Amino acid sequence: MLEYLRLGLFALLLLSGLIIQLTAIFGVNRFRFAVNRMHPAGMADTLGLLLMALAAVVYSGFDWITLKILLVVALFWITSPVCSHLIGRLVRETDEEHFEAEAKEWKP
Amino acid sequence: MEALNVILLLFIIVCAVAVAVTKNLLSAVIIFMAQGLVLSVVWILLRSPDLAITEAAVGAGISSILMFAALKKIKAIGGKEEQADEKEK
Amino acid sequence: MKKKNDAFSRLLDWLENGDQALDTEMEESLSDAFPAEQKSKRKKKAEKRKTVPKNASAPRRAYADTWWYRACAVLICLSLIGLLLFTALRLPEFGTADTLIDSELTEFYVKNTLEETGAVNIVTGIILDYRGFDTLGESHVLFIAVCTVLLMLSVRGEKNEALRLKASEYERHFEPGDDLILRSAARILTPLTLVFGLYIIFNGHLSPGGGFSGGAILGAGLILYQNAFGYEKTERFFTYKTFRWVSVCALLFYSAAKGYHFFTGANHMENGISAGAAGNILSAGLLLPLNFAVGCVVACTMYALYTMFRKGEF
Repeated sequence: MLEYLRLGLFALLLLSGLIIQLTAIFGVNRFRFAVNRMHPAGMADTLGLLLMALAAVVYSGFDWITLKILLVVALFWITSPVCSHLIGRLVRETDEEHFEAEAKEWKP
Repeated sequence: MEALNVILLLFIIVCAVAVAVTKNLLSAVIIFMAQGLVLSVVWILLRSPDLAITEAAVGAGISSILMFAALKKIKAIGGKEEQADEKEK
Repeated sequence: MKKKNDAFSRLLDWLENGDQALDTEMEESLSDAFPAEQKSKRKKKAEKRKTVPKNASAPRRAYADTWWYRACAVLICLSLIGLLLFTALRLPEFGTADTLIDSELTEFYVKNTLEETGAVNIVTGIILDYRGFDTLGESHVLFIAVCTVLLMLSVRGEKNEALRLKASEYERHFEPGDDLILRSAARILTPLTLVFGLYIIFNGHLSPGGGFSGGAILGAGLILYQNAFGYEKTERFFTYKTFRWVSVCALLFYSAAKGYHFFTGANHMENGISAGAAGNILSAGLLLPLNFAVGCVVACTMYALYTMFRKGEF
């Protein structure tokens, strides 16, 4: 009984993580501007990865490998929002037609 | 497992052809980066973790960063090489 | 349109116009360098070449547009693909029980690496002990690559003083290091990355990794530091002198240690380095220092290439 419960939980987590990743891929493809595309990419890296990592934790049982998987999640949770921030900042500084661009001027 | 191998290898082939055919230089470098990443997964499936770590660090990391820096040097970071010419006119 | 003089447009010009344009440019730049009495001979040759062109009226067609060039290119690609596929299909099966019996070299390596080198990781044992000479060549190739990039991209090499100052100022104006979020994240990530890179280097003979991958990760950590904290703070500890000393000392140490190892091994003498117990970190003879040397060279190379592309100077 417990085995079936574990298998069911693993399948549920994996499928939901997969659906989020697929939605993110579809969103990155179909949106038009860079800031719009950044939004699903950021969600895929954080929420989708968390669900898939939890699925891996449930599948392999609680052991030292759980710590390694959670460390991978922590690394991605630190780096992916910083990447989104940098993309947004880049668009803000260089896009001239949609924003009043705060571009860095250089005069020789 | 065979199906996964076949899918990944087909992806690499398609990426490689796409790099050669794309006109936009920035897209070509990004596709090259993606191909390096999938190649790293293929190395894991072939049970050689040394190559996987090295390919991920060098191919999908540093090599692509150097290519972006090179694109910046020839002023093609917008994608086309003529953008710099049109700006100077 | 102003004629750009960087390497890429000159390459495109050469591909389109043949070597006539490059010859006249080289002639002009050479005439600046050479004194006047040698000018006459070169000038005569150049003028002769200019007045007797091969196709005076018709413009030269690029070879890449003709049909036979493209047909030959496709044929050569297809034949190479066929050759590689044929070879790959004849390789032994992956992971079956009789793979070792097929090739006696594989069998030798799998059976004898642990006793002869002391390395648990067979791949590191091969690339640093049996084929250590090849790794020496590869490290030197990395160093040569950085020297080439230094020749071409160095801002200090510009003879025109104004151009040099302008290029250096331009690069430094758009310098990184003013983003608070990136700085805060890099405060956590950079020490972890550097420590991880060092771990992979030092555990090359016990677990997957080794000098090349660990060096690449170290280089990536240094690039992250430069991008997050700016040029000033990075120049406090990594200058051109640092790069020179670390690379040259690492390469010299690798050559000396490997030379000593080969010399004593080939003459059947005893080298004073013990293999140690397999599985310890201080084992496998010379493999740990050699891994460290290779890792140093690779890290310096990665960071040097990036900073040359970015800044033009160290």
